[in-house]
Amino acid sequence: MSRLGRLQSESRAASRAFLRRRTAVFFTFFFPLIIVVIFGVLVQTRPGGGGLFTREPAYYVPGYLAVVVLFTPLSRVGSEVARHRDGNRFEKLATTPLTRPEWLLAQTLVNTVIIGLAGLILLGLMVVLTGADIVFSPLLVPFVVLGVALFCGVGAMLGSLASSQDGVISASNGIALPLLFLSETFVPPELLPAWFPTWLSPLTYFSRGVRAVSTSGGEVLVPLAVLSVCAVVSFAVGATLLPRTD
Amino acid sequence: MTDVLVAEDVRRSYGDTVALDGVSLSATAGEVLALVGPNGAGKTTLVRALTGTTDADGRVELFGEAPTAVDRDRIGLLPQSFTPHERLSARELVAYYAGLYDETRDVDAVLADVGLSDTADTHYENLSGGQQRRTCVATALINDPDLLVLDEPTTGIDPAGRQALWELLEGLADQGVTILVTTHYMEEAQRLADRVGLLADGRLVALDAPESLVADHGGASQLRIDGEFDETTVGDIDYPAEMTVRNGRLVIYGVRPESIGGVVDELDAAGLSYDSLTWKQPDLEDVYLALTGTGVGRAGEPKAAVTATAGGSR
Repeated sequence: MSRLGRLQSESRAASRAFLRRRTAVFFTFFFPLIIVVIFGVLVQTRPGGGGLFTREPAYYVPGYLAVVVLFTPLSRVGSEVARHRDGNRFEKLATTPLTRPEWLLAQTLVNTVIIGLAGLILLGLMVVLTGADIVFSPLLVPFVVLGVALFCGVGAMLGSLASSQDGVISASNGIALPLLFLSETFVPPELLPAWFPTWLSPLTYFSRGVRAVSTSGGEVLVPLAVLSVCAVVSFAVGATLLPRTD
Repeated sequence: MTDVLVAEDVRRSYGDTVALDGVSLSATAGEVLALVGPNGAGKTTLVRALTGTTDADGRVELFGEAPTAVDRDRIGLLPQSFTPHERLSARELVAYYAGLYDETRDVDAVLADVGLSDTADTHYENLSGGQQRRTCVATALINDPDLLVLDEPTTGIDPAGRQALWELLEGLADQGVTILVTTHYMEEAQRLADRVGLLADGRLVALDAPESLVADHGGASQLRIDGEFDETTVGDIDYPAEMTVRNGRLVIYGVRPESIGGVVDELDAAGLSYDSLTWKQPDLEDVYLALTGTGVGRAGEPKAAVTATAGGSR
């Protein structure tokens, strides 16, 4: 069986396993809805006014997208690693031709499709509910794919290092929430202390790039390059840390 | 005959806990090697060392190569406590593992081999415990391996399913597949294995054919007489054999079947009544109890109690 065949088999099993967990499916797609409703409709953006949401609605596209690009891979891959470890599935897979990078790549592909769909729903809701003026550029795709790969790698690290599925969830929330608000997503950098290093967060480059693409303004290549490097490193470290048995 | 599997002086520790303490063994093509031993004896750690899923000191080779370097199409593994994707059907699960290999057997044929044709489309989580375990066994068979490593394959399987699986494994061994199986069922080891390795505290305390182990370590046959006996009973019976009494049961050792009538005559002569009488040959379970010192007998009797009775110094 070729590498492609192994990826197909692993991806098919992973997607079936996900689609048959109805609660997980529901909340994966419901999460963007409630985020847009809460921040886009209830809180609303008030251009020119004071407070947190003072920019035009399109400014927050990276933030809304980051909600799914960040949270979903972290929790899904982290939990999947914990489930695999608890069920001794990695021990079994270690004796098959499937390699650890192939396993993680298959999870990343499944997550990319899921998050791509959730992202489309989210952008559609933004346009409908907030009137955001969004440029639907094809360049959004590489940013989403790289963001998913980056956080699938981090999810694999969390799942490998945390001792339980509960630990994975706690750790992923503990990492994702600060990242979400300190990476130039919802909170503009001018609202943070001048010394605060938002450039340290890889999510910052996702935000900058997505904002530049979706509003047709700003640097695209530098964020894309930095995000690519972060995604490759994260994926490699995550794949290396995946357990065999102990 | 060429060794398919070789382990020499294999050692593995977890902190201060020694899981494997210099284990050496080998297996040839078509041989069934069973590993038995108490919980924590090191069986699963040895399986992991042999399959390259844990790092261990010493030399381990499969087909003349390190376990991690060997062609993975040649190995089929069923890990202990293995739980695959629970919301995939048995057929989907076996097909999933088939998709990871270069060449595989037909999915439906493997499902038929493990007796799951009728429930192939049932989700794993809705199968019975025995059906789940058989599904797991099927995932180890799908790549038609030359070496099959099964860590407690029949746990949770009912007697009929166990028998069917034994027949399947015997057929595979006849075709030249080497099988390494760990089990807590002595009957299974005695029935299936060409050789049995007995692990205790990380050491291989015995490795031989089941009948040789029984001959060397199984002790004498036992005539078990259930009734209201006590230790004074032993003195009332004029029979030249070692005897013990425990919980009202009298056990006479080394009685041949043709001598049972003589024992009954002695019981009658001594005016002793009894409820039932059972003769038992020594078997692998006696070897296990003798060599591991785990101290629980077939009827739940503490082994120490058996050795500390009036009959002598067994």
